[in-house]
Parts: sequence; structure tokens; C-alpha cells
Amino acid sequence: MKKRVVITGLGVVSPLGCGKEIFWDNLIAGKSGIAPMASLDLLPYKCKLGGEVRDLKPEIYLGSKGLKYLNKGTRFLGSAAKMAIDDARLPTDGTLSEKMGIVIGSSLGNFSETTDYFYEIIRNNPSELSPMLSYDVALNSSINYVSVIFKIKGLARTISAGFTSSSDAIGDAFKMIQRDMVKVIVAGGVEQISIDLYLIFYLRGLLSGLDGAREASLPLDKERNGFVMAEGSYVVILEELQHALDRGAHIYTEVKGFGNTFVGGKDHPAEVRVRRTEKAMHDALEDAGIKREDVDFISANANGCRMQDAVEAKAIQSLFGAGSDRIPVSAIKSNIGESYGTAGAAQLISSIMSISTGQIPHIMNHCNKDPEINLDLILEKPFRKEIKNALINTMDYDGNNSCLVISSVG
Amino acid sequence: MEKVVITGLGLVTPIGIGVRQSWDSFIRGTNGANEMKSFDTSKYKVHRSCEIKNFQWDFSLENQIKENTIHKYVYYAAREALQESGLLHDKKFNRERFGIAIGTLAAELTPFERLLRLDTSKKDNGFDKIVAAVYPPNSITNILSKNFEFEGPAMISLNACSSGNHAIAWAYDLLVDNKVDVVMVGGGDMIPQTEFTHFHNLKALAPERCQPFDKNRQGLMIGEGAGILIMERYEFAKKRGATIIAEMAGYGLSCDGFHMTAPHPEGDGAVKCMSDALKMSSLSSQEIGYINAHGTGTPHNDKTETTAIKRVFSEGAYKIPCSSTKSMIGHLMGAASAVESVVCCLVLRHGVIPPTINYETPDPECDLDYVPNAARTVKVDHVLNNSFAFGGNNATTIFSRMG
Repeated sequence: MKKRVVITGLGVVSPLGCGKEIFWDNLIAGKSGIAPMASLDLLPYKCKLGGEVRDLKPEIYLGSKGLKYLNKGTRFLGSAAKMAIDDARLPTDGTLSEKMGIVIGSSLGNFSETTDYFYEIIRNNPSELSPMLSYDVALNSSINYVSVIFKIKGLARTISAGFTSSSDAIGDAFKMIQRDMVKVIVAGGVEQISIDLYLIFYLRGLLSGLDGAREASLPLDKERNGFVMAEGSYVVILEELQHALDRGAHIYTEVKGFGNTFVGGKDHPAEVRVRRTEKAMHDALEDAGIKREDVDFISANANGCRMQDAVEAKAIQSLFGAGSDRIPVSAIKSNIGESYGTAGAAQLISSIMSISTGQIPHIMNHCNKDPEINLDLILEKPFRKEIKNALINTMDYDGNNSCLVISSVG
Repeated sequence: MEKVVITGLGLVTPIGIGVRQSWDSFIRGTNGANEMKSFDTSKYKVHRSCEIKNFQWDFSLENQIKENTIHKYVYYAAREALQESGLLHDKKFNRERFGIAIGTLAAELTPFERLLRLDTSKKDNGFDKIVAAVYPPNSITNILSKNFEFEGPAMISLNACSSGNHAIAWAYDLLVDNKVDVVMVGGGDMIPQTEFTHFHNLKALAPERCQPFDKNRQGLMIGEGAGILIMERYEFAKKRGATIIAEMAGYGLSCDGFHMTAPHPEGDGAVKCMSDALKMSSLSSQEIGYINAHGTGTPHNDKTETTAIKRVFSEGAYKIPCSSTKSMIGHLMGAASAVESVVCCLVLRHGVIPPTINYETPDPECDLDYVPNAARTVKVDHVLNNSFAFGGNNATTIFSRMG
């Protein structure tokens, strides 16, 4: 018998602010976290915008001691994890250690800290570099730090699967609790803006603003021409239902289903991509035991990529048929940009807040309707609706598709 | 419940290209250590590692791999494993039910390193279109998917030195849940200068050779290579008439939650993941016939692992052969536990246990049967593979002879 899994805590480090309240208030107020990037020297390059985390005070969450040794990703993840753990009122005295795990998605992990280290190696005498620097030289070092800080002993896993990494991590954590491997999992994602990541996206021609196009995050808009990169960490506490009830925890929502497919790294035609995207949504709903007509809300992956947004829209239209223009669709990447390996966790938290408050944030910057996209897009102002079941889509150009289904409780 | 079986194995190791060559070398107790060739070590105190030797690359026509990266090692091992499983040219199955899970510690760091060495004035110089394409870790799953038409769920396991076993555990769950029919699973790593420096500056590297469990052990040696296993649902393998090499019995995971680089002194995390693996496999500790130790050769690890094995197996610990193949091939980091899982399957197949070489002086704190210096012929039914990563990220897998 599979265990039921609920969400009992939320933690947010985002371009819209740190903490679930401010993140949510700013989404509903239609604010943007996107601005010219201050942390990188982008003089030689065309694209300048990014969703940077600007106001994190990690000492509030992690204390000041040893803080200078923690890299950006660790500060993000550690702070978001602390917020989520406190929000869930989980004990941190070690009594839950063995029953607690951490599963985090990150497309690149601590790759940029690793390459920073190499940059030091080739410009200095490598034997004389501080051993403290080498703590960052593992792609999962942020997760290790967090497991040490919070004495997590059940398990620790880092998953990299492109832009669906955090959805895959949450899906994996969901399955682990269903199987009763542990009772509580700190799950989510983390990504940090670096020159590495910027150049990877830039050289692959994925960013908005190349070739003289208007640089902006324009999901599902006819003039979309790429995405705006972003960073942050979004963490939820997944907990076995009975465990949460026994300790009188506040339950936000139930996690009901997960589905993932892969298009296979091949230059498949759009029809194949549409079919696999549709299958991921279908599999998540089937896993949840929820019928298509009972989906009240879709949090779209939509990040402003020309092909990918159209593929997603077609997949939704195909799966939901005539009903597809009656399901409200939001695209929070219009506010926060594309935070790749942690995007799914960001959308999950936004969707949980939508279920909790009965409000759906509107899509910003939407000026030109794309005739190929026939969805009920929430535009201009937030939309009020009581939501029972929400579908959360994540996908990427490499062909990863992962979807989560959550439901209100009671 | 669905059974999970292994139907193909592939290896690229510092002591052999391919399973047959590697296995012969394992059984002979070959030392894979050599003077570093891939970069200049003159500014370091250690100059040796276990590099891949005599790697012939004959596949340039059938894939898009041009750069000298771990793609080549992983591709080679995957191709070999698929060939054995009978799935290399068989296209009649639904490829959306063929998944991929690969563990790595450093992914494709070396192309970036090569490029940045040419002009060190700015970190930006480490990037060109090729680096941008291979640097994201999931370039590994993309290249495998593209070449072998595995189009089901795919993941890269970034779990440092237990990445391979984490990938295997992930694949096991997917197969048990009947979400897929086949998963190509394993790990790959090269020796980037970054990781060499990392271990060097933590004073974890042995200067000459790797001597796990020896009183005078001085540390680990970095190695490189890849190991791949083809894992399948038993029903699927049986139906298509595949030859079954072994059954995967179960796994255990844990986390020390203790320190960034040092293991828990009593091996709490190691105890939990071995115990959980036994429990999931429904095996008693007496039924384990061989342990492939994590056995890195560092003073800390080998002592702690010995303590942990004794805590799990009590008196029985002294009777179980427990060798460290890292004594021969070094520590393949993210690929280590994948390669060692392949070794475990080969132990079941051949009934021979590879030795711990370079073993000379017994250590009173490490007093188990480490199969010193010579391979041993023993028929075993169940084998256990440990992997414990820096940061306390632990994963143990268990494989069984197919009954």
C-alpha cells in the first residue's frame, strides 16, 4: 500500500524576494524580478537581463559563523531549506535525522564553483590553494552542506536532468515517501547565475535578445525569442501524510502524481516533441488518478522559447481537447525568468500558493497573441478561482519533460 | 513485485578496455597506476594516477563524439553492454520504455580545462560552442540517447563518489514500478586537473600506489573510466529470451549528515545503508558471499568501513571476503560504484573474487578478510557493493545469482 504524501513547508530564495510571502505578493502584484545583471561582466555580450537574487541575507537563516566559506548555491539552498524546515515546524535537534532525506535538482550543481577553482589552479601554484576552497569542488557540495547543517541522515541525492531537474527531484522524493523509505524529504532545486551558465546559454543561442530581437521574458507571446536566465532556490518539505497528521503539521497540499518522458536528445520533429510532452502530462494525471476534466489550473513551463512554448501549448490542446481553453494557465517565468534546474520547484510553490489563496498570478509582458496558442492565458490581472487539482509542467530543449500533479486537501 | 535483472555489462578501466580485458587484469591483480600524462603535475607533490591506456576509438562514423571526453568511455562501455544484452541492433521494442541513468562526479570538465589553459586571462575563454554543448552534465544522457535510441526517462546522478550506485538505485525503482522495461545505467569520469588538485590539496592522494586496508596506506589514487550495466525487468528479459547475468536484489541509501569530507567515525551512515540494502533484498547478513568494499585506501575510510562492516555483520564479518578493486584501478569517482557493480556481477558469473593488491602489512584496526594479493575461487550467491562519498552521501547495492 502506497503512502500518501503531503507538503508541509515552503522555502523561497528568488529574484522576487526571499520568503514565500514576498515571493507570492510580488507575483500577484505583477512585479518583475528581471533586470540588467549586476553580478556578471557582460560588456562583450548582447544579452544583459537576468533574474538575480538581490536581497538574500543568509545570516538570518544560517548564522554568521562560517558564512564566508559558503558559496552562492549553498547560501541559496541552505536559506531556502531553513525557511521550509521552519515553516513545517520540523525539529532540528536530530530526532528526525534517520527518517529525513534530501533530494535536490540542479542542472549544473556546483559546476561554476568547480570551474572557479580551476581558474585559481592555473593562475596560482595549485599546491598552495586553501583546502577550504576545495570544499566546493563537487557538483553536489551545496546539498552536502545542507545535509550536514540540518543533520539529515536518511538519504541525500542530487539529480541533474536539464531544466526538469527539480521536478524530477520532487517526483523522486514523492516516490520514495510513497515507498516508505523515509518520512520527510527536503526537496526542490537550486541554481546560481554564473558566467559559465550565461555562456552556455548564449553560445547555444537560447537567450532572449540575440539577433537584434527585443530582450524580455515573453512566455507564450508571439514575439518571444528566447528566455531570460534566472537563479534561486525553491524548497518544499514533502512528508508522509500520517506523520504530518500525528505531529499536527499544517498541510498545504497533497502531491498526487508525477510523470516524465524524454524526447531523446535527437532533433525530432515538433510532432514527436508534442506527443512526448503530452505523454508526460498524461502519465502524471494517470499516476494521480485524476481525470483530465478535473484539472483546474496549469502552471506552464513557458519560458519564451519559440519552439518549446508552441510545443507545450499544442500538447495541452491535444491532451485536454475542447476543454483546453477553459483551464486557466499561468507562466511565472514572465516575472522570474528561467531558473532551469529549479524552475519546477518555483512553479510548484507558486501553484501551492494558488491553491491556498484561490488566486492565479497573471502573465506579464503579454502584448501579442500567438494564433497557434489557444489557451486560457491569465492576463492583465490575477484570476480568482477555487483550485482542487493543479498540473505543473516543466520541459526543455534537450527533450526532458516532467510534470507534477498536486491537489488541495480537505 | 517485479524482479530486476542485469543482462549486459560494459567496462573501460585503467587496466583494460572492455569487460574481458579488464576482468583478466582484475583476476591477475594488475596495478593500473602510472605517471600522469594528461596534464603537467610538476607543481604537485603527487604525480601518479590510474589513467586509461591504449584506448582505441573506432566509432567516429556512427556517433557525433569528436572531443576527447568521457562521452567516449561511456559510449564504449554502453555499446559493449548493449551488445551483450542483445539490444544493440534490436529495434523492435518501444524505445520510450528504455531509460538512462548515469553517475558522474565531474562530468565534462576536461574540454573546459583544455580551452582555458590556452588563454588564462579571463574565465570566459574556457567556453566555445563545443564546451557549451558538452559542459552540462546531461550532455552525457543526450549523446547516449541519440546514439542508442534510448528515449525513456533520463537522469544524471551528481552524487560524488556514490553517483553510480545512486543511478543504479534510481533505475531499480523505475523498473520495479514498471515505468520502463530497460535502463542503461552506470557511471563515467575522467581525471580533470580540478579534481586531481582537489584530492591533492585535501592530502587524500597516495604518492605511489593504492594500498587499501594496509597499515601503511597513504591515500587514494584517482582513476578514470566507465562502467555500464543493462538493467531490465525480469519479465521483459525473459520474454525476449535474454541471457541473465545476475539479479539486482536491492539497495540502501543514507547520509552521514556529519562533515563535508570526513566520514562518521563509527560509520553510522555506512551501517544504515548496508542494513537497509540487506532489508530491501530480504537477505540475512550471513548470506552475503562477497563485499566489494568502498576501500579507497585513505586512513579514515578503510578504518571506518571496517568498523561499519563489523557492526552490520558482527562475527560473520571475518568470514566474508571483502576486497577493494580500487587497489588496481584507483578511485573512479562518479564511475567507481558503477564499475564496482559490474565487478560484482562478474564475481557472480565467474565464481572468482578479485584481490586487494599492494597489501603488505596488516592493520590491527582493519582485520577483515581483504583477499590479499591473489584472486580466490569461491562460488557466491549474493554480493554487496559499498560506496561512500565525501559529504557522507552513501549508497550500497546488492546483486544475486539468478536462482
